[in-house]
Amino acid sequence: MTPQALLETAVLLGFFVLAGGGYAGLYSIGRLRANIGLVRAGALCWFTAFGIALVVAAATPLDAGWKLFILASALVYAAIPPMTWRYLERLHDDHSPEGAGQ
Amino acid sequence: MYRSQKLSLRYFGAAVALFGVMIVFGLLSALYYLHPSLLFDVFNFSTSKTLHIDTLVIWLLMGFLGAVYWYLPKELGREVEGMWLAELMFWIFCIAVAIVAAVFIFVQYGSSNEFTLWFINQGRKYVEAPRWATIGIVAVMAVFAYNVVATCIKAHKMTGIMWVLVIDLVPLLVVYLDAFPAITNMSVDLYWWWWLVHMWVESTWEVLIGCVMALVLMDVMGTSRRIVEAWLYIEVMLVLGAGILGLGHHYFWIGTPEYWLSIGGFFSALEPLPLLGMVVHAIYDAGTHRMKTTNRPAFYWITAEAFGNFIGAGIWGFMMTLPQINLFSHGTQWTVSHGHFAFWGAYACGVIAVLYVAKQQVSGVNFLDGRAWKWGFGLLNLGMIGMVMGLLLAGMAQAFFGRAIGGSTLMAFTTASENPWFVSGIYARFFFGVIFAAGYVVLVYDLLTAPKHLPMPQATPEPA
Ligand code: HEM
Ligand code: HEM
Repeated sequence: MTPQALLETAVLLGFFVLAGGGYAGLYSIGRLRANIGLVRAGALCWFTAFGIALVVAAATPLDAGWKLFILASALVYAAIPPMTWRYLERLHDDHSPEGAGQ
Repeated sequence: MYRSQKLSLRYFGAAVALFGVMIVFGLLSALYYLHPSLLFDVFNFSTSKTLHIDTLVIWLLMGFLGAVYWYLPKELGREVEGMWLAELMFWIFCIAVAIVAAVFIFVQYGSSNEFTLWFINQGRKYVEAPRWATIGIVAVMAVFAYNVVATCIKAHKMTGIMWVLVIDLVPLLVVYLDAFPAITNMSVDLYWWWWLVHMWVESTWEVLIGCVMALVLMDVMGTSRRIVEAWLYIEVMLVLGAGILGLGHHYFWIGTPEYWLSIGGFFSALEPLPLLGMVVHAIYDAGTHRMKTTNRPAFYWITAEAFGNFIGAGIWGFMMTLPQINLFSHGTQWTVSHGHFAFWGAYACGVIAVLYVAKQQVSGVNFLDGRAWKWGFGLLNLGMIGMVMGLLLAGMAQAFFGRAIGGSTLMAFTTASENPWFVSGIYARFFFGVIFAAGYVVLVYDLLTAPKHLPMPQATPEPA
């Protein structure tokens, strides 16, 4: 790993999770306010995370196993917010008179 | 007010006082970086840092104990069993902490023999307290466990949160014990010591704060019990699933077998996944209750906990958790940056939320808000963010110049320590540390002053 690649890779990894968090945050606020624009901005964040994963895979000196892992994580990131949201909504519908985002 | 809640208030008072001591020694430790010969031969950096990080562990632990003693009678509908023992243990705990601190300050270190281990310092980071005090802490925790379990039995009642808490008490105590035999092989010693430090901060404490946050959410936001419990089970499963073997990221360079590189990297890289779910949950909960709460400071501190945990542990941890990166970042200010952010986000913010819950009940106001808490919140978080950004910069400079370019020689370390990026990061830490300290002063002021009686906002949460 060259000194420059070290910093580039670490920063990419940090932004990868940040973009994943941005997706989770914007998706949730979008769903809450029934605002499709925000949900789309969330999707854009996920694409950014996926793009970062591709850059990590293509341009960093990480071992192949880690690159695959990051790519797989990007796919799992895509599923977490909608799955969690659906689960929370179901819990709410089952157990309480209130619903979210109405 | 229950007797155990009065005990909580004492725990909270002690926790806030130790938080202050921690800040004083944090600032002093930061000063050594600016003036390395400060207090030379009188009071060294390592003692100052020891006081800083040991008080961190103790104030958070006291905050957790206080939170559980606060909610236990509410949760089970009766006074806590064995209160006299719990009260006695509180005083033993405080006296032990005061004696250990005095020994650290005035004796500082001893020869490498059994006496030192028993009476001065065990030399294990975060848990340096000598053995006699360690036994005291075990006694405090054992009594705490007894209080919780005996109250559940007497009350003939067990809620989901209580089950999780009771089960968590077992590893909480057991891993604390595993780290104290004196092992002369450094690798084996570190191996077991990490069981304690990692399993506490990335597993058992996560579960404990999960239980506390579940109770706070019901209290402050009116979230229904079945929702917080269902969520707690999932969170616990995910956190433990990734967190336990995430331990491996501490085994990269201590002489353990090479397979830990893969295990540690893999499982710790999974750790951000549950944190993403927590972000969604936090927003869902806040939105469901339309940000309406009867305790605004507690609400903001819970929200800060959810986001701080994600950023400090998730993003900052992930940046340096793969072995190829960690080879260079290990033990630099980069780690320190993550350590600050993660502890702050995951635990400190949660404990502060509970302090405000207690304040509201003690002062008897229906709606808690005001101006001072906002200043405390703002200054503390600004101070923390400024510190961790400065430290990240300093740590990256160390990894880049000292490790990757310089090859980790002593000369390279020295050169990196003079690098302007490093130096400015270190100045930033001190500057923002002062802002953080100002935030602490405002926090204490706000906690101690009687709140105004404000009108209730519309659509307040229903009780759980
Ligand atoms: C005024 C505020 C603070 C200042 C100036 C400060 C400063 C410092 C300094 C100088 C060190 C030693 C770093 C080294 O060994 O090179 C340190 C370590 C540490 N501090 Fe703080 N600190 C502050 C607040 C906090 C807070 C609020 C927390 C947690 C909530 C915290 C957690 C830690 C931890 C976990 C370490 C050990 C990190 C490691 O060795 O990797 N500190 N701090
Ligand atoms: C509640 C959550 C967490 C807390 C409180 C926490 C705290 C800490 C602290 C204090 C240290 C410094 C230990 C020392 O050497 O003294 C540390 C190290 C480390 N943490 Fe975390 N952490 C958390 C979660 C995570 C997560 C989720 C990851 C990975 C994604 C992670 C990755 C690491 C790594 C790789 C190190 C070793 C750094 C080095 O080699 O110097 N941590 N953590």
